[in-house]
Amino acid sequence: MSTLFSQARTRIPRFADAAVERARLTVVPSRPVDAPRAPFVVLVVLLLAGGVAGLLAFNTTMQQNAFTATSLQHRADALAARQQSLAMDLERLRDPQHLAARAKKIGMVPPPNPAFVRLTDGKVLGQPVAATRLDAIRINTLPAPKPKVLAPKPRIVKIVVPRKADQKNGTKKSAQDRSVANDRAGRAGSNRTPSGSQETNR
Amino acid sequence: MSPAPHSRSRRGAPGTGRGSAHNRLRVFLVVITMVVSVFGVRLFQLQGLDPKAYAARAQQAGAATVVLPARRGTILDRKGVALAESVDGLMLIADPKVTTKYGGMIARILADDLGLDYFDVRAKLTKPGSRFQYLDRRVPSTLATHVVKHIQDAVRRTITDPDLRKIPFGGVYTEADPLRDYPAKDVAANVVGFLGDNGAAMAGLELAFDKRLKGKDGQETYEVGDGNRIPLGDNSTVEPRNGRPLQLTIDRDLQWYVQRVLRSAVQKSRSDSGSAVVLDTQTGEVLSLADFPTYDANTPGRARKSDLGSRALQGVYEPGSVEKVLTISSLLDEGKLTPRTPITVPATLPVQDRVIHDWFPHDRLHLTTTGVLAKSSNIGTTLAATQISSEDLYRHLRAFGLGTKTGVGLYGETNGQLPDWTSWGKVGHATVSFGQGISVNTLQMATAVNAIANGGELVTPSLIRGSATTDAGQEVGTDHTTKHRVISAKAARQMSRMMEMVPNPETGTAPGAQVMGYRVSGKTGTAQRVGKKCRCYDGTFTVSFAGFAPADKPRFTVYVVIQNPRNGGGGGSIGGPAFSRIMSYLLARYGVVPTGTKPANLPIEW
Repeated sequence: MSTLFSQARTRIPRFADAAVERARLTVVPSRPVDAPRAPFVVLVVLLLAGGVAGLLAFNTTMQQNAFTATSLQHRADALAARQQSLAMDLERLRDPQHLAARAKKIGMVPPPNPAFVRLTDGKVLGQPVAATRLDAIRINTLPAPKPKVLAPKPRIVKIVVPRKADQKNGTKKSAQDRSVANDRAGRAGSNRTPSGSQETNR
Repeated sequence: MSPAPHSRSRRGAPGTGRGSAHNRLRVFLVVITMVVSVFGVRLFQLQGLDPKAYAARAQQAGAATVVLPARRGTILDRKGVALAESVDGLMLIADPKVTTKYGGMIARILADDLGLDYFDVRAKLTKPGSRFQYLDRRVPSTLATHVVKHIQDAVRRTITDPDLRKIPFGGVYTEADPLRDYPAKDVAANVVGFLGDNGAAMAGLELAFDKRLKGKDGQETYEVGDGNRIPLGDNSTVEPRNGRPLQLTIDRDLQWYVQRVLRSAVQKSRSDSGSAVVLDTQTGEVLSLADFPTYDANTPGRARKSDLGSRALQGVYEPGSVEKVLTISSLLDEGKLTPRTPITVPATLPVQDRVIHDWFPHDRLHLTTTGVLAKSSNIGTTLAATQISSEDLYRHLRAFGLGTKTGVGLYGETNGQLPDWTSWGKVGHATVSFGQGISVNTLQMATAVNAIANGGELVTPSLIRGSATTDAGQEVGTDHTTKHRVISAKAARQMSRMMEMVPNPETGTAPGAQVMGYRVSGKTGTAQRVGKKCRCYDGTFTVSFAGFAPADKPRFTVYVVIQNPRNGGGGGSIGGPAFSRIMSYLLARYGVVPTGTKPANLPIEW
């Protein structure tokens, strides 16, 4: 660009020099400004400061709101959970089995025969029968069957105390002796298996 | 600031000033080019080579994704009481590395607050080398948070260092664990079904309507900073679609009562199992569908596997004498008989190579058709049934719904067996006429008897209120109820009156089935059972009682079936009293007043 410019300048004829000199752009001398600058500066500063402060405040409230939202959400969750467990408690209390158990406790039984009183003329429809103990229904399952013998006789297993001589011979033999003793005890007992007696032994 | 020096500097020393500016420009240009090319290369690396990975990493750095679980739909009874509902549960997890030190103390708190086994829990809390142990699952969330707080407080008390005291104890913590609660425990468990430990539907309606109940999980992604959501940050939410509720026609309180009566009947007669069905006569709504043995839907793991399904729908048996009602209704419909038609019943009846007996020994009897039904005579029914062709009888039984699923919406329902009439022969015709050699499920048979109660029109039963689509795509519910006529209204009325003689203590086999003050129609059944092993009659029985009341304006049909009683009882002595209890409860509960008309009194002999 600068080279192009200088070529053009060289081609300009001499006589035009004055015109060129005249046409050359010069800086317009600055006119003294009468309006005071201070208010404008103050305005700009205020705008800037206001903007920054506003933005800061906005951000802060947004953050604050986020904190509040989080804590409120936690509270809502806790309350929802509480509501649910209360509802569950209520369901448990409304459970027909629970109601029946409580009714039974105070001696209630289901009515044996439905009967109605017609309100218009006071007539009894159906055959009312007084409920008795026999009308009770079993609301719990039967208990597990009991064993035939409630208190079985204690099993007595006799163990031959190993003699001192055997102890010297080593453990193996005494163990054999013990199992023999078990067998004997097993046979002596009514219907016991050898393995059973060994367990008792242990 | 004066213009003079300014213009001089512009004009003065043009050669040197321009040259140095020129050089400066060049240097700047080079520097800028270098910087920009570095940026360019980096830009290409980020955007050109693998933009997605970087984008994902950027997202991950500050983004949290939460699954928004869809709430599973509630299963309600006909009055809107929940039979199955989902609540927010939590699981309690321990980090044994942290809890070992406090094992005894924490175990005591857990044993006190949650009723867990002290030694089990203690072993888990002090397990060496483990960092994750389930302590308890599906704990209601308030209880779980309470327990965690309790533990934290207890641990804090043991710490003396004030700085350490401030840090909450993290050895026991909670995580979301949705909890399916069955508030009524075993009530309607066989129908409703249950969820497995992983939350997958395992049985019953929970399984059949899983898609509808489950809904669709959503998810939310947002940016977090310091545990809080960043406002105006990126976030995207896919809302969860909650499962839709399912309302049944079951009445929970009635269901409870029926289950208790059924259990008493089964246990008193030392039977294997039992089922009971209660139908609303006009609408076909199943008010109760009970099975015993059953299970607590909250703890299905403790039940035997064979008890988890619905025997009333999945089990088949030979209906026996209850089926005589259908045979004789067909004969009445065809106009071959009237309730008073005389039938001479011999002591035994040979049919081809077989001999047909009655359940009670007798000489030659002179019974009317009513008498045959009231005394439940096989021979009498066989003789009466000779007047109808096998094809016609088959057609009628099909119309009564035998051999076809009721299609109430539960999986695994059996068709029952009604062999084609061409294969019957004479013996088959005779046995089918009194309910042997064919098999049914409980609901099928109840529906067939209900057709008589409903004036000869069969109403398809339904278990779902309104309309719902099963996962298999079948639309079921009360909106899809259909009706078709099976026998004429006149025949149905005649049959209803004949059935009134069954609970009559003077004429019938089931005096225990009466409901004082009401007219009750019913029929007993005592059928031989086909054994599982020998595929032959093994000497065990299925006893049952089906009936409806009030006889002249039926509201409810009740059918009770008991398998293999061991106390020598029959349909009248075991099924009858159970029927009576259920029916009287029903009539009182739904406020059905006695019709006050004179009970039928048909002759049973001639």
